[in-house]
Amino acid sequence: MKSVITTVVGAADSASRFPSASDMESVQGSIQRAAARLEAAEKLASNYDGIAQRAVDAVYAQYPNGATGRQPRKCATEGKEKCKRDFVHYLRLINYCLVTGGTGPLDELAINGQKEVYKALSIDGGTYVAGFSNMRNDGCSPRDMSPQALTAYNTLLDYVINSLG
Amino acid sequence: MLDAFSRKAISADSSGAFIGGGELASLKSFIADGNKRLDAVNAISGNAACIVSDAVAGICCENTGLTAPNGGVYTNRKMAACLRDGEIVLRYVSYALLAGDASVLQDRCLNGLRETYAALGVPTGSASRAVAIMKAAAGALITNTNSQPKKAAVTQGDCSSLSGEAGSYFDMVISAIS
Repeated sequence: MKSVITTVVGAADSASRFPSASDMESVQGSIQRAAARLEAAEKLASNYDGIAQRAVDAVYAQYPNGATGRQPRKCATEGKEKCKRDFVHYLRLINYCLVTGGTGPLDELAINGQKEVYKALSIDGGTYVAGFSNMRNDGCSPRDMSPQALTAYNTLLDYVINSLG
Repeated sequence: MLDAFSRKAISADSSGAFIGGGELASLKSFIADGNKRLDAVNAISGNAACIVSDAVAGICCENTGLTAPNGGVYTNRKMAACLRDGEIVLRYVSYALLAGDASVLQDRCLNGLRETYAALGVPTGSASRAVAIMKAAAGALITNTNSQPKKAAVTQGDCSSLSGEAGSYFDMVISAIS
């Protein structure tokens, strides 16, 4: 799974050389920034439920008919539950990305094939964008986490939003 | 290939859980000891040629049959192959130590090594002994408790856990080939 360390090791291995001084510098730079990432991951792990719920509420405020844009369902709670489940799923992958320091988990476990799936299920990608935009504006420093951690978290939310565009 | 961080992501994904407090503690200590780890990798890569040649010279001293006709390293060609393999093993151990995870060592070096050595007729006892000597040398270099001339000019700290971690990677090599 792609991260700074695995990229460095992969490059050193292709050249069959021991880790060089510049490799060490790369890893050191990644480690220095890791504390903020881990803080964001920790805060996200304890607060994801509320974040996802607020995003669902924002989606249904903007799209009262739900993600598929059909007529109002008889069972709207089912749609909301599935919507929240999906947001929790994305937040979990963002949590993994914050820990690994790369976009590998999101790329491999969500973004690859995402558009095709939503197209096949007639789900409007715009509803997801509405939810993630809500999360993007929801995070607040220092209430939720430190500024550096919030930057790392927001960068990944932007990455997801852009992948849905 | 995984590192200490992505290993956590893979194991959390198998149960669909978030990575929270307890799981993050070991990563935080990885970060806190980051400089020690880099120094440890540096100690291995900077002394690689010395570690490897000492290990190969060591097995030849302990078992004089190796250099005799039909021995494991008889002919310069076999000796050169032995030194090269020692360096490859040490290189992958240094990668594993840098990543904090054994997957690069297992996937790219040890997978199929036993079968290869069996096919080539490499004496596994001597090969494991060479790895064990490299383990001892690397451990001493990481804790900076090696003999005086090669001591690194760094602040003395407690690197015993890193030395133990490197030792576990060498043990993986030994159990993979013997």
